[in-house]
Amino acid sequence: MNGPIRHLAAVIFVAFAVLVGTVTYLQVIRGPEYRDDPRNLRVPTGRAGKERGTIITADGVILARSTGDPDNPQLFTRTYPEGESYAHVVGYATLIFGAAGVEKTQAPALVSNRDATISGVINAILGGDIRPQGLRLSLIDDLQQAAIQALGEQTGAVVALDPDTGAVLAMVSNPGFDPASLQGRDAGPAGNALDGDPTEPLRNRAVNATYPPGSVFKIVTAAAALEAGVAGGGTTFDDPLTLELPGSTATISNYDGEVCGNGGTVTLTQAFVSSCNTTFAALGMQVGADQLVATAEAFGFNTEIPFDLDTLPSVIPGAATFVNDLPGVAQSAIGQRDVRATPLQMALVVAAIANEGEVMQPYLVQQVFNSAGQIESEATPAVWRRAISPASAAALTDLMEKAVAGGTGFRARIPGFRVAGKTGTAEVPGGAPDTWFAGFGPVEAAPDVPRIVVAVIVEDGGTAGDNGTGGAVAAPIAKAVMQTFAGL
Amino acid sequence: MTRSAEAALLLTASVVAAFGTALVGFTRGIGLDAQVALTFIVFVGAFGAIHLSLRRWAPSANPYLFPLAAILAAIGLTEVYRLDPELGSVQRWSLLIAAGGASGLIFLLRGDGVAVLRRYRYLFLTLGVVLLLLPWLPDEWLVHGIEANGSRLWVGLDLPGRTLSFQPGEIAKLLLAVFLASYLADHHLAMGTTRRNIGRLALPPLRQFGPILLAAAAAFAVLVYQRDLGASLLIFALFVGAIYLATGQLAYIVAGAALVVAGGVTSYQLFGHVQRRVGAWLDPFADFSDTGYQVAQGLFAFGSGSLTGSGVGMGRPDLIPAAATDFIFAAVAEEMGFAGAVAVIAGFALLVAAGFGIALHTRDLFRRFLAACLTLVLALQTLLILAGVLRLFPITGITLPFMSYGGTSLVANMLLLAMLARISHGARA
Repeated sequence: MNGPIRHLAAVIFVAFAVLVGTVTYLQVIRGPEYRDDPRNLRVPTGRAGKERGTIITADGVILARSTGDPDNPQLFTRTYPEGESYAHVVGYATLIFGAAGVEKTQAPALVSNRDATISGVINAILGGDIRPQGLRLSLIDDLQQAAIQALGEQTGAVVALDPDTGAVLAMVSNPGFDPASLQGRDAGPAGNALDGDPTEPLRNRAVNATYPPGSVFKIVTAAAALEAGVAGGGTTFDDPLTLELPGSTATISNYDGEVCGNGGTVTLTQAFVSSCNTTFAALGMQVGADQLVATAEAFGFNTEIPFDLDTLPSVIPGAATFVNDLPGVAQSAIGQRDVRATPLQMALVVAAIANEGEVMQPYLVQQVFNSAGQIESEATPAVWRRAISPASAAALTDLMEKAVAGGTGFRARIPGFRVAGKTGTAEVPGGAPDTWFAGFGPVEAAPDVPRIVVAVIVEDGGTAGDNGTGGAVAAPIAKAVMQTFAGL
Repeated sequence: MTRSAEAALLLTASVVAAFGTALVGFTRGIGLDAQVALTFIVFVGAFGAIHLSLRRWAPSANPYLFPLAAILAAIGLTEVYRLDPELGSVQRWSLLIAAGGASGLIFLLRGDGVAVLRRYRYLFLTLGVVLLLLPWLPDEWLVHGIEANGSRLWVGLDLPGRTLSFQPGEIAKLLLAVFLASYLADHHLAMGTTRRNIGRLALPPLRQFGPILLAAAAAFAVLVYQRDLGASLLIFALFVGAIYLATGQLAYIVAGAALVVAGGVTSYQLFGHVQRRVGAWLDPFADFSDTGYQVAQGLFAFGSGSLTGSGVGMGRPDLIPAAATDFIFAAVAEEMGFAGAVAVIAGFALLVAAGFGIALHTRDLFRRFLAACLTLVLALQTLLILAGVLRLFPITGITLPFMSYGGTSLVANMLLLAMLARISHGARA
C-alpha cells in the first residue's frame, strides 16, 4: 500500500525542486533585470537619504558630499558646494527627476549596498569597510573656472583633456543648473521648470549634444586625404569663386564669398589655414566617401565613446548613402549635411593628432577611495583606438599650427605657447551659426611637459549672433583655458 | 531523548524569532525594546505548551514537526512584524491561540482519540460543509459573511467595538481530510476493483464512489459559488489525490487534471476576476499599473533581493500589495534573499517529507490515509501559493502555512500538525 504514497510524495518533491529552480531563475538569472527595471521604485527610493561618497576634483575641491542629520544619523542630505560649476559632470541622484552625471554612472561606488547584505554584515563584523566610496575626478578647478568664465553666459560647452592620458581636465556646459534645486521634497516646481526649460539646462552639451561640426571637420577630411595619399600640404587645387557640385544645381562658396587664394591655384596648407570650403569640398569628392567615412570612424564617429558619463555617439552617414550623391560627399567634407559631432568627439579627434595618431580612452574618474581615504582603484591610461598614422598626425599638427599662427584661429595664439587648432562656423538652417574651436598645445613639447586639448562649441554665434565665427567666438575661450593651463 | 532534541530546536526557533524582532527594531532606529522579549516569551510559551502536551500525551511523536513549523513561523512573524508591527502583535496572539488549540487537540486525541475521528466521519463532513457555507450568512446578522476582493470567504462576529473575523474554509479543509481518510480506509478495497470497462478505461463501482463524489461536488460547488478558486482547487486536488492514495490508479489523477483544466477554462469564461488573474500571470507588465501590479512587484522583489537579500527592514516589500498575506514569500525573498527563500522552501519540503514519512510508517489504514491526506493538504497549499508568487501559476489567493499573516490559517495548520504528531506517536508505540 506504500506505492501510491511514495509516488505522490515523489511528485510533490519534484514540484518543490521546480520551485527552487524558479527562485534561482527569478532571483539570480533574471534578478538584475527586475531589480533595474525603471518601474521598480526600490533602487531610487532605497538610495534616497542614504550616505553617498564624497566627490572631489583632482586638486581636492569638494564637489559633492553627504552630511548626516543631527537628529537622525541614518538620514543623509547631499550638498553640492560648487553648485552650477560642476553640475553637469557631477549630476544628481533624485527620487523625482532620476539621476545624471557621475552620481548616476558611478552609483555602485558612491552608494554602499554592502551594508545590508549577509556578506556585508560579516564583513563589518570582521572590521571591513561598508561605507560608500568616494571619487577623485580628473578635473582641475582652475581650468574649470577659466572655461566657465570664458564661456560666460553663452550657450555651449567646453571640453579640455590630456591627450597623453585621456584624463578630462575641464568640462563645462551652458546653461547650467544648481543640483541642490533638484534635491529634497520641495524640489518639484523648480525641478519641473528645469526639466521643461526649452534651453535644456539639464543637458550636458559636452557629451550629450551633437552639432554640425562645420569647418573643424576639415581636420578629418585632411586626415582622410593624408591617409589615402591623395594629397599633402603642398598639393595644389583650383581656386574658383564658387564650386559647382556635379549632378546638382547646388554650389559651395567660401565663408566671405571670396576666392580662397589669388583665384588661380591654392595649396592644401593655404586652404586649411584660411578654411576654404571650395577646396575642401573638392578634396572630399576626390578622397571619396569610403575613405572619408572610414577615417571619421577611425576617430570614433558612429561609436559609443567608452566614458565615465553617458554619451551620445557622433555620426556620419555610411558610405553607401553617398553612392549617387557626390554633392553629399562635398558637403559632408566641410562638416555640414548630416555630419554631427559632440564636443567630446572633436576633442578626441584633436587628441589623436596630438598623440601621434592614437586616441587615449577618455576618463573622468581618476581614483576611487574608501571612507578612510585609501585609494581602492585608479584610472590607468589606455589606448582606445589608432585613428591615423604618426606621419599624418605630424602633417596635421603642422596644418593646425599654421591655422592658429596665421589663419582663422589667430585669436587662440598665445605668445610662448605653441597652439595648433582649427575653427569651425557651422551653418544652421534658419539661425545663427554654431561656432567651434578645437586645438591643443604646446606643440612639440618635451616628453614630460603636459599638454592640453580644448574643444569649444558656442551655439548660435554666441554674443556675436549672426556674425559669430569660430575664430571670433570660440577661439578666445580655448585660448583662455590654455593660458590658465600654461600659467601664462 | 527525541523530546529533548525537540525542546532544544524549539528554543532555537524562539531565539530566531526574537532576533528577527530585534533586527526590525534596529532598522527602525528604535533599538532593543520590549517587543523582543514579548516575541521570545510568546514563542517559548506557545511551543513550550505544545512540547509539554507531546511529552505528556504523545511522547514518541515525531520530534521535527513543530520545530520546523516554529522556524517557519519565526521567519514569517519577523517579516509580518517588519511590514506592520501592529499585524505582528496580532499574529503573536494568533500563535498563542493556535498553540493552545494544538495542545488541546493532542490532549483530545490521547488514547483512542484518533479512532473516534474515524467513527464520526459524516459528522465531520457535515461540519466541514457547514463551515464552508458560513460566509453566506447575511450581512446584518451578529455572525455574518464578509466579502473581500470579489470573494466571500470570511465570517465576522460583531463584538462591541470591533469585529472578529475568521476564514472557516481553513478549518473545513481539515474536517474534509478526516472524512476522506475515514471513508477511504473503509472502502479502498472495493474502490480498487473494477466492475466495468469502457474501451481501455476501467470504471470503478459507482456505489463506492457515490458519497465521495457527492461530497466533492458539494464542497466544490460551495467554493466556486464563493468564488474562492484557490481553495476549490486545493480541495479538489485533495479529493483526487486521496482517491489515488486509496486505489493506486493513475487514471484518477489524469481524469482529475482534465477536470481542473475544464474547470479552469470554464471559470475563466465566467468570472472577470479569474480573467484578470490569468492575464496578470501571463504578462504582468502588459497592464503594469493595474491588474499586473501585484505580480510585477513580486518579481521586482525577487530581483531586488538577489543572493543574500536587502536585509530585514532594509528592502521595500511594502511596495508589494498583500505582502503580509499572499505575498509573504516574495517579501522574505527580497529581504532575506535567495538564501532565505531556499531555506523556506527547504523547510516546507522537510515538513512534507516528515508528514509522508509518518504515513509510510503507520500500519493502521485510517491513520495512514489521514497522515497522507493532511500532508497532502499542507503540500498542496504551499505549492499553490508559492507557484503563484513565483509566476508558475496564476495567483490563487491562499495563505502560506505558518508564515502568512492570518489567525485562522495559523490555527488550522497547527491543528493539522497536532493530528500528524498524534498519529506518529501511535505508529511508534
